[in-house]
Amino acid sequence: MHLQGIALGLAGALIAELVLAQRVAVRGVRLGVVDVQGLQDRVADKVLSEIRNSPQHTDVRTWLAYLAQRSIADVSGRLGASGLLQRQTPKVLKRKQPRYFSTDFSRAMWPATRLRLSLVRCEPLSPQDMALATLMDACDLTDTVLDDPADRRVARQYLTTLMAAMPPPLRDLSRQVRAAVGDAVLTYRI
Amino acid sequence: MRTAKSAVKPDPISGALAADRLGAPSVVYFVLSAAAPLTVVAGVVTTAYAITEITGLPIAFLVVGVVLAVFAVGYVAMARRMANAGAFYTYVARGLGRPAGIAAAWMALIAYNALQVGLYGAFGAATTPLIERWFGVTPPWWVVSLIAWALVAALGVMRVDLNGRLLAVLLTAEVAVILLFDFADLINPAPSGFSMETLAPGALFTDGVGALLVIATLGFVGFESSVVFSEESREPRRTVPLATYSAVAIIACLYALSSWAMTVATGPADIVATAQRDQADTIFLLAQQHLGATVVDIARVLFATSVFAAMISFHNTTARYFFALGRERVLPAAFGRTRARSGAPKTGSIAQSVLGLAVIVVYAVLGLDPLVHLFFYGGSFGGFGVLLLIFVTSIAVIAFFLREPSGETLGRRLIAPVPAAIALAVMVWLALDNFATLLGVPEGDPLAWLLPAVYGVAAVVGVIWALVLRAGQPAVYSLVGMGAKAAAAQDTV
Repeated sequence: MHLQGIALGLAGALIAELVLAQRVAVRGVRLGVVDVQGLQDRVADKVLSEIRNSPQHTDVRTWLAYLAQRSIADVSGRLGASGLLQRQTPKVLKRKQPRYFSTDFSRAMWPATRLRLSLVRCEPLSPQDMALATLMDACDLTDTVLDDPADRRVARQYLTTLMAAMPPPLRDLSRQVRAAVGDAVLTYRI
Repeated sequence: MRTAKSAVKPDPISGALAADRLGAPSVVYFVLSAAAPLTVVAGVVTTAYAITEITGLPIAFLVVGVVLAVFAVGYVAMARRMANAGAFYTYVARGLGRPAGIAAAWMALIAYNALQVGLYGAFGAATTPLIERWFGVTPPWWVVSLIAWALVAALGVMRVDLNGRLLAVLLTAEVAVILLFDFADLINPAPSGFSMETLAPGALFTDGVGALLVIATLGFVGFESSVVFSEESREPRRTVPLATYSAVAIIACLYALSSWAMTVATGPADIVATAQRDQADTIFLLAQQHLGATVVDIARVLFATSVFAAMISFHNTTARYFFALGRERVLPAAFGRTRARSGAPKTGSIAQSVLGLAVIVVYAVLGLDPLVHLFFYGGSFGGFGVLLLIFVTSIAVIAFFLREPSGETLGRRLIAPVPAAIALAVMVWLALDNFATLLGVPEGDPLAWLLPAVYGVAAVVGVIWALVLRAGQPAVYSLVGMGAKAAAAQDTV
């Protein structure tokens, strides 16, 4: 998988968590803390306290760029701590990126399957799944989740409908992630 | 003030983001590796001497360098206000309106594609002498070019990182070889004596000067990409202008020196005949007399890697143009998607590769000359397109700052941009007037008006397309010029 896109997508997901928990509000290109109470989760609370401690930074893009620097490590660390991921230490070749394996295959596959089924059948989604679906699309993973090309057209149409219908903070966040992923393509350093 | 404040309370967010930012030297390196100096010196300059049969190229590089440096003043100032700073059409869209912007986008797609595809012709010329020497066989140029094409197509979609450090080493080696060759040329002047003739301004007052100006502009292509890094540079107000001026100055001096040194070694009177005989081998054969076979072999390898790096660089530039237009929905949305595995703008990349393949096949079937008809025509045609784009952008810069002074100084808004626009207008006019010389065809040859007319047609189609969008899809129309940020700007519709 392409790391920069994933890193930005996960950074968006970390903010989305706080939006869904009503700790952070996103409006247009800006975000701000609305409730400082922790979520009893180390990773989420760290992000929340950072946003709270740097009120001068209100640009969603700034936070996406900042969080993307460690979002992969943070999220995989959290999954590892809860026993869902196992990190494989490279033996022969020194890889730059560690590899991870899920310990529970069906549980790992379920979100993608759930999204695929809902998108193809145009079923109503929970706010969490709306955020997940639009973030997935923002980092161009739609074709990966919808492995059958025949499904993609319907799913894309439904994603457009979702974008129009979903809560504005989550929609604005997804758009910012999509713009960040696109800009990463345009400023690619070669 | 700022330092005092940050000394009291360091900002961890800005600090962490700054660690990944680029300084001016890195930006200059990115720009120069796209400019591929050895490709220009060994391929473009020698072929230009052979085809145009005029010798004022060294002074033309200096003159164009000055014009582009003056143009860059307004360009980098406007870049700070652009959503998609890397592409000329976004400046045109902001400065002269969206129809002109889409027209410029179409022209840019044609120009950059022509530049990229043209390089397939040079790659055959660059590698055939090496293959002959190493393997004792002489494959047709298109076999070598097709191999290069397949590599570029694969690397483009897979977006395999051509290691930045490797590119920097290759670029440094290229420049070192060029300087070494120049030195050897200069200390071994032709029997006719050490001549400054081709560096004298008088060399420009000749029939066909427009051709020289296009070729010189072609040498600078890539300088415009420095502004892509506006958002990623340490101090955008300082880093990007400094990098842009440095790149223009380095390119101007290096190419003027090298194209002049060749004429010293052969004598100004003999450079055309020498270049017509030896073609892309000219500088290597000149150097061989003084530097020995090993150095020249290394230089030939660097020529091949330089062309290859330029092919990849132009391929990526073109694919990104497609991508930005796809994100704006000016082109179908599929162009705005990336490949999940590599993050490459896959549809644009594939489209560019398909075009490249088609051109190689057509040239091979028709038996056209790869160096002259593909590389040089592609380069001249593309270089002329980029010159047109720079000219239109220079007008857009003036129009933009007239409407939105944005706190810029008068110098950046008018005093530099106006003379730059006038000079560029003269260059475009001369280029059109001398297009036959540029292509080395007789006056009145249909090619000499057909090729420039392609851009005219593209511009007209672009304007029509813009009007269709405005009538049918106003939401898309309003996002023209936003690049990837079109995704975030939909709320304003």
